[in-house]
Amino acid sequence: MTIADWVTDRLGLERLRAKYLGKPFPEHPTFFLGEIALFCFVILVGTGMYLALFYEPSAGPVTGGAGPMPAAYASIIAIDSHPFGALVRRMHHWAAQLMIASITLHLLRIYFTASYRKPREVNWLLGLALLGATIGTSFAGYLLPYDQFAVTATAIGYGIARSIPWIGPVVADYGFAGQFPSASSVPRFFAYHVVWAPLALSGLIALHLVILLKQKHTEPAAARAARAPADAHLIEGVPLWPQQASLMAVLMLIVIAVTALLSAFLPVHPTELYGPPSPITPEVKPDWYLLWVYGALRLIPGDLSVRFLGTTIGSEAIGAMFIPGLLGLAIVLVPWLDRGTSSLHYAESATASPKRLAFGLAAVTLFLALSLAGFGGELGLGVPVLWAITLATPLVVYGAGYALAKRVGP
Amino acid sequence: MDRRKFADLSLKAGVVAAVASAIPGVMTLRGKARVAATKAVEAGDRLVFALGQNAGQPVTRGGFSQNEAVLAYPENKTDNHENLVLVCKLNPTALTAPTDLAGTAEGVVAYSAICTHLGCTVRFTEEPMDAAPFPHIHCPCHAALFDPQKGGMVMGGPAPRPLPQLPVHLNDKGEVVVSGPFSAPVGVQA
Repeated sequence: MTIADWVTDRLGLERLRAKYLGKPFPEHPTFFLGEIALFCFVILVGTGMYLALFYEPSAGPVTGGAGPMPAAYASIIAIDSHPFGALVRRMHHWAAQLMIASITLHLLRIYFTASYRKPREVNWLLGLALLGATIGTSFAGYLLPYDQFAVTATAIGYGIARSIPWIGPVVADYGFAGQFPSASSVPRFFAYHVVWAPLALSGLIALHLVILLKQKHTEPAAARAARAPADAHLIEGVPLWPQQASLMAVLMLIVIAVTALLSAFLPVHPTELYGPPSPITPEVKPDWYLLWVYGALRLIPGDLSVRFLGTTIGSEAIGAMFIPGLLGLAIVLVPWLDRGTSSLHYAESATASPKRLAFGLAAVTLFLALSLAGFGGELGLGVPVLWAITLATPLVVYGAGYALAKRVGP
Repeated sequence: MDRRKFADLSLKAGVVAAVASAIPGVMTLRGKARVAATKAVEAGDRLVFALGQNAGQPVTRGGFSQNEAVLAYPENKTDNHENLVLVCKLNPTALTAPTDLAGTAEGVVAYSAICTHLGCTVRFTEEPMDAAPFPHIHCPCHAALFDPQKGGMVMGGPAPRPLPQLPVHLNDKGEVVVSGPFSAPVGVQA
């Protein structure tokens, strides 16, 4: 009797095998995007567990090379000096970037193939919650190196929280453990980043996957079309064990390799270069996935601020709360805005609905145009020009996308 | 009351009690008021350099040249970030309303260095930016522009309010001394 047989016998794994290990995984490269995000999360947890061994969550002063510096900052410098320490820290940063990128592409794939339709609305919402939670986790992690960049970025977050009409100061104080920066800030953000966020992400991932298991994948439209109508309730694909499992193992190794390669050659968040916090604000831009909010903040002029029922609705609240809030709400409501009522168990062609394609492309363009507005100074473009680009390009792309879908659509 | 009803009522009462007892716990999330935050700037405080080799030394009129600005704190109150001020030395004849002229001395005028948009530290700059005239104050975060000759008025960009002015005068040693509180609340306001 082999060890495998012994375990199978003791745990009654035969039933599990019969029920789940044959689960079909559709064959299409875009179906790997969610898995890539999952593998990034695994890398983040692994590298994070290493970093947490040495990181000191305190802004209190310690003696460093050039006089007193915050303990958190000093501990990051110390990690960078460990054998492979800097590599592990860079991999943590790169895996976060890749995770957000792959979730975003995953979202776009689901959108453009209408895979959010009934009965998959719940997983659409959970997926968006995962994207939001991932960005939130990244933001909470921004502060931890406690360098000049970290403190500036988090201070802007604190300012945005404070600008919420009526409840801003209370929200900011509860969220940031009092005025930012203070001695309480780093321990609070450490708790968010290391305990609360990973637990929330794990829970959301588990739910997302259990629902996927229950509802089954969608499959490419071509696979569905090739089968007899009597088999329409089936999903075609390779079984989880052993084919998909070996594909996943290879993909995981590729994700680790790419993260390590990027980390080896492209520095990310060079804490020592940024230096410890000082009263001077450096010229900083947020990471690419928040550039659109940054662009919106630069576009909204200060004189748009209005007094209203005892509060100020400021330009910063409009740029960082209302605009992102409206865009986010529109994305959340996609399954209910789509008038296609039929249940859908296959990934529809992107051109099947001209409106859906055009809206999606226009939305992507809007995000890109807002991000471009963040580079107005570098490009020598004034605020009016950037406004024109932000308003005009999505409309043009909408028209073009609609016409394209009409021409090539089924 | 039958047993089912009793169990139901107990459960509801338990939920209410649990929520109610969580409230004091949640309140503690707000954080403590810091000693530093109570160190507000007051009339009579001397301004000292915030940075550089002269950090902690008093800012004097002769300590920097015209069309220059330095970051300063009120003496012994450097741990309250909201006290950070930008002391500018400008051409006295160029200063106009709404600048509080009584709060300037021989062209020395002080503004809160905390941007009213999202709280970054503003800069006094020579770089031309969006065709803003020299001298001007700009914020490196979201390109807010302020006019130091006109009471810190917003010249462009996203800032919703002018930079609060800190009235100052010179003592007999030429040191810059605070005459009164900021003209408006400092930093981001809801």
